[in-house]
Amino acid sequence: MPENTQTKSIKKVCVIGAGTMGAGIAAQVANAGIPVLLLDILPKDGDNRNAVAEGAVAKMLKTEPAPFMSKRAAKLVETGNIEDHLGKVAECDWVVEAIIERLDIKQSLYEKLEAVRTPGTAVSSNTSTIPLAQLTDGRSDAFKRDFLITHFFNPPRYMRLIEIVAGPQSDAGTVGMVRDFVDRQLGKSVVDAEDSPGFIANRVGTFWIQQAVNSAFDLGVTVEEADEIGGRPMGVPKTGLFGLIDLIGIDLMPHLMKSLTSTLPADDWYQKIARSEKLIEDMIATGYTGRKGKGGFYTMEKGADGSRTKMAKDLKSGEYRPAARPGIVHGSAARGDLGKLIETKGKVGAYAWAVLGPTLSYAASIVPEATKTVVGVDDAMKLGYNWKMGPFEMIDVIGAAKLVEKLKASEYPVPPLLEQVGDKSFYRIENGKRQYFGTDGEYHDVVRPEGVLLLEDIKLASEPLLKNGSAALWDVGDGVVALEFTGKMNALDEQVMKLIQQAIPLVKSDYKALVVYNEGSNFSAGANLGLALFALNIAAWSEVEKSVAGGQAAYKALKYAPFPVVAAPFGLALGGGCEVCLNSDAIQAHAETYIGLVETGVGIIPGWGGCSELIDRWQKNPRHPKGPMPAVSKAFEIISTATVAKSAAEAKEHGFLRHTDQVTMNRDRLLYDAKQRALAMVDGYTPPEKPEFRLPGPAGAAALKLAVESFRSRGIATPHDEVVAEQLAYVLTGGNTDPMETVTEDRMLKLEQEAFMKLARHPHTVARIEHMLETGKPLRN
Amino acid sequence: MQVYEAPIRDMRFNLEELHEDDGFGNLEGFEDFDADMRAAILEEANKLCRDVLLPLNWPGDQQGCRIENGVVRTPDGFPEAYKQFCEGGWAGLAVSPKWGGQGAPHSLAKCVEEMSCSTNLSFGLYPGLTGGAMVSLEAYGSEDQKNFYLPKMANGEWTGTMCLTEPHCGTDLGMLRTKAEPQEDGSYLITGNKIFISAGDHDLADNIIHLVLARLPDAPAGVKGISMFLVPKYMPKEDYSLGDRNPAYATAIEHKMGLKASATCQMSFDGAKGWLVGPENRGLEAMFAMMNTERVAVGIQGLGMGEIAYQSSVYYAKDRLQGRSLSGVKNPDGPADPLIVHPDVRRMLMTMRAYNEGCRALSAWVSRALDAEHASPEPEARERARDFIALMTPVVKALFTDLGHETTQMAIQLHGGHGYIQETGIEQFARDARIAQIYEGANGIQALDLVGRKLPDRMGRNLRAFFHPVSQFIEDHAADPQIGKIVGALQQSFGALQLSTAHIAQKGLSDPEEAAAAATDYLRLLGFVAMGYCFAKAAKLAHAKLAEGVEDEQFYKSKLITAQFFFDRLLPPATAQFMAIRSGKASMMDMPADAF
Repeated sequence: MPENTQTKSIKKVCVIGAGTMGAGIAAQVANAGIPVLLLDILPKDGDNRNAVAEGAVAKMLKTEPAPFMSKRAAKLVETGNIEDHLGKVAECDWVVEAIIERLDIKQSLYEKLEAVRTPGTAVSSNTSTIPLAQLTDGRSDAFKRDFLITHFFNPPRYMRLIEIVAGPQSDAGTVGMVRDFVDRQLGKSVVDAEDSPGFIANRVGTFWIQQAVNSAFDLGVTVEEADEIGGRPMGVPKTGLFGLIDLIGIDLMPHLMKSLTSTLPADDWYQKIARSEKLIEDMIATGYTGRKGKGGFYTMEKGADGSRTKMAKDLKSGEYRPAARPGIVHGSAARGDLGKLIETKGKVGAYAWAVLGPTLSYAASIVPEATKTVVGVDDAMKLGYNWKMGPFEMIDVIGAAKLVEKLKASEYPVPPLLEQVGDKSFYRIENGKRQYFGTDGEYHDVVRPEGVLLLEDIKLASEPLLKNGSAALWDVGDGVVALEFTGKMNALDEQVMKLIQQAIPLVKSDYKALVVYNEGSNFSAGANLGLALFALNIAAWSEVEKSVAGGQAAYKALKYAPFPVVAAPFGLALGGGCEVCLNSDAIQAHAETYIGLVETGVGIIPGWGGCSELIDRWQKNPRHPKGPMPAVSKAFEIISTATVAKSAAEAKEHGFLRHTDQVTMNRDRLLYDAKQRALAMVDGYTPPEKPEFRLPGPAGAAALKLAVESFRSRGIATPHDEVVAEQLAYVLTGGNTDPMETVTEDRMLKLEQEAFMKLARHPHTVARIEHMLETGKPLRN
Repeated sequence: MQVYEAPIRDMRFNLEELHEDDGFGNLEGFEDFDADMRAAILEEANKLCRDVLLPLNWPGDQQGCRIENGVVRTPDGFPEAYKQFCEGGWAGLAVSPKWGGQGAPHSLAKCVEEMSCSTNLSFGLYPGLTGGAMVSLEAYGSEDQKNFYLPKMANGEWTGTMCLTEPHCGTDLGMLRTKAEPQEDGSYLITGNKIFISAGDHDLADNIIHLVLARLPDAPAGVKGISMFLVPKYMPKEDYSLGDRNPAYATAIEHKMGLKASATCQMSFDGAKGWLVGPENRGLEAMFAMMNTERVAVGIQGLGMGEIAYQSSVYYAKDRLQGRSLSGVKNPDGPADPLIVHPDVRRMLMTMRAYNEGCRALSAWVSRALDAEHASPEPEARERARDFIALMTPVVKALFTDLGHETTQMAIQLHGGHGYIQETGIEQFARDARIAQIYEGANGIQALDLVGRKLPDRMGRNLRAFFHPVSQFIEDHAADPQIGKIVGALQQSFGALQLSTAHIAQKGLSDPEEAAAAATDYLRLLGFVAMGYCFAKAAKLAHAKLAEGVEDEQFYKSKLITAQFFFDRLLPPATAQFMAIRSGKASMMDMPADAF
């Protein structure tokens, strides 16, 4: 691995090739706030010589999920063509090539690049198949020094994996510069790969897909059965295998196969299993290429009555038939007990073993050829294929010795690394540190890059300071504690509030600052709705009221605590999850934060201070008009429509984040950054002043009501939307206040609580909550 | 002495006044059954029950059923009474006119059921089982099966049975062994032994239609491999004439504690011909369609027994002269005052009365829901009715039969030695009532159904149909000058119920044994709050009626006193169940099995 010795930094980037990958990479560079030049070839016809790149940007602005985090980011992309604008490469510190996977075309581009680039400018290829040695063949030593492979995954904004391959001549400083940039600025997790075919993730992934498809045909397993066995129980996203192929495109399969069979040595196991099925060839030939085509292994069929039925391809007859829910995996085998799964009698166990046995064996065979450590393989599969566990973590679940025994019994190859580990495991915890089994037969610490701090690691080495069923408090070093939500889906409840109240005196006496942070799949999607519904069903109004008051009290206690509080949201931060951020001194948000006050969707309004906090933010926004009404109107618009920001950048536009709040691009760096932010605030910290509001009162509420009525008459708002909006307007306009009076924050909280309770008791609100819990979708009643 | 006059006034109060505001709306399809019609039906039912069924009750108990050469004989008079019952159209009272029934609402039919249970529980079981079998058949049978069999069952000419239990499996039906072999003609041959089959054989009707749970040859193990089959005693021909005797025989009748006039048979199916009812392996579902209505019906049995025990006790307490009143002589011409002057006798009488009136009011509410489930014009009300029935079915079954048991025991106590000897007929009530706590799912199972299934279902959705009206009523009447005080008591109990509910929901999530340990106490608490709600509503109505002036003032005055007694004496101990619920499972489960 090259040492990090760079002194240069990347201030402008050029991406050549505006296909899905190139354009997506350019967008992510722009998302980081870095100007980027996006070049492609001249269009076949037309006068606009930049049409290809411009078209790619225009298309991205309409794509969902969006490649750009904000409209502003799109403006940082400068478009051009390689005939007219290649010279501009001289201004760039890094050039990413993401053009067609043809060696000759790439080589000729590099030749042109060599002539225009500034020496020291990094050049990397996004190739997924071509060896580095071939790419730089014929180039100067200087070019070779600055050249590397940066293999992004699709879509570049959302997939966290990047595989970096440095050549023998690559300059450590240049590689370090790029590496640092993709890590910190683009937020990617770097896995170092060797210059071997398919690198890591696609090598294992392609083998896995091939083996799983083969086995389904060979064992007579249906696509639904295959996906049930090979999906969740193996920690693979619930699409399972065939669902995944539909997603990435069935027509991609032959390409993947061709590129690997043409580059892998003849004795590689993959060569033996690579085969194509007539049925799949026919599907591709007739346009059944998956979700992007006419259909895939699954398709939705519309009935005459508008009903939609999920259909599945019968692998024997080739016909579609209604998709079944096999329900054949039971017990612990369905919940990640892989040992149980492969030992299950009948086709469940047979198929599971046919997929897992060879795939795990194969994965173990590519270390150190494709990457030096087992950690690299595991990280690549987790980050690049969204597996819950990497192959070596799976082997540990089964037991390496047991796996070897079973492989031998099935006459599958047993790679040396598996023999070497024997009855030990690939990972172990030693002195509070996670260690991996190296090819030298020794255990080594899993080392995090500098600036990466993970609760996962802290948990191995320490006990929580406080803990209950829904939250915990951890010492994260340097006098900072982290408040972690631990309930199901990180839902917020009484226990969370209780722990906050306990944490405050503790931090006050023994620590300096607190960050609100966790490592769930989302920061928090808000209050525990199930609990709320239960309380509403048993008419426990006073309990509901208490939980509103309790949440308000806890959040305000955080806000006015005598130490800095920094919230570090990521993923979903909704409802109460948003409100805890709004009540913090500062927010250090991950770029992929989807924050919003979505309470109206379930027929209530924010009850833990969200209403007044959002008004406060808009009133203090220097770029927003002054006076009692504008901030209220804005907050009303955002809350009544349950607006959710689609990125941290967008969250700033909606006022959930202040302009002083900061964004971390790399998820793994979020806690560290939040901690540093909190520490920076410690000296001379004073809690915020209690805000007072000048609000429009009934006249303002009447104005908002008119707006809602117009939405209602146009069929945009439903009858219950109107009921909810009326309560929201009452709160936001300050109840029966007068623009000449001031309304205290406590009064605002009281108003919130009253309105909340009125709505919570409304049968249509109960129906909305119930519907949301049962279907995951809002009820439009 | 067994004394009975149907409590028609109270029934009509429940039917016409008490539940008018239950939110189920105007039910459709019962236009023929207006208030006058309902009153007339209740009067006629009373006559039949009082004059025909009651006189057979004690003799039937004494004589019992017998089995002679594989044929079961019911006690003397039963066949004639059954004939009269069918001719009066009572067999199909609540059955849809589509099948030749009367189409009366459940709310009315349940009153008639109560009367027959009071006057002759053994007798009532024969048509009762037929009713249950019809529910399953109607829900799961094929069109041909329904068209052919239901009319014959609705008019009582043929009766039905439900054959579930086997010697080694009762509650745990997953262990069921009876086999069904498919035949080429689409029929099945059923082979196996069943026990505890009520009305398994008898001499009341021409034919008996058995619904039998059995396993197909390739059926999965456990409850998911059970199918339901229709097996006639005689193979009927298309013109309803009877053909061959099917090898489905009663081999013995059980010798029981009570209910002696009801034939409880051991059945042997020896390759008996039958047909599948509903889909393969879905027999349990079909059985539960019946089970749910049957459970409410069994609850009514508890109430019926409680009512006749009360009436007979009242008769005795007024008739029997013993001791003198503590507040001065009340019967100076006699050698002693009647029992009814004594507070402790009053305690028993009032308890019995309050239990009966409370259960009847609650049963009327649940019956309204049974009607509304299908007949309410509003989809939301139909859904609410379904939720309410789901919640209340185990409560009605277990609470009513537990209270029926307590009441019949109290009747014995009140009768003293005369209650313990057989000739007075009082101990028969206690023996007859006892089974209702056991069959159709023992009461412990009902409590588990309540806390394990009905309570957590859809985040407490079933609870809403009950908790919300109670909560609203309390809010609306807490400051009422007339009933505010009892509403205050109700509020306290309701609060205990809410806390208990939350406690069980929370504890039960992490430890199902905690929920199970609280189940029986919780069911009782919920049932008493439900009765309390009915009493509070009744009190409100009574005050209003008395204020506006009515003919039968005493009925409403009595209602007020009974309600007051309930809130003074019966609700508080039930509220205290909360303490037991909150105490958790430890003292129940800590004892090592070996130490017992």
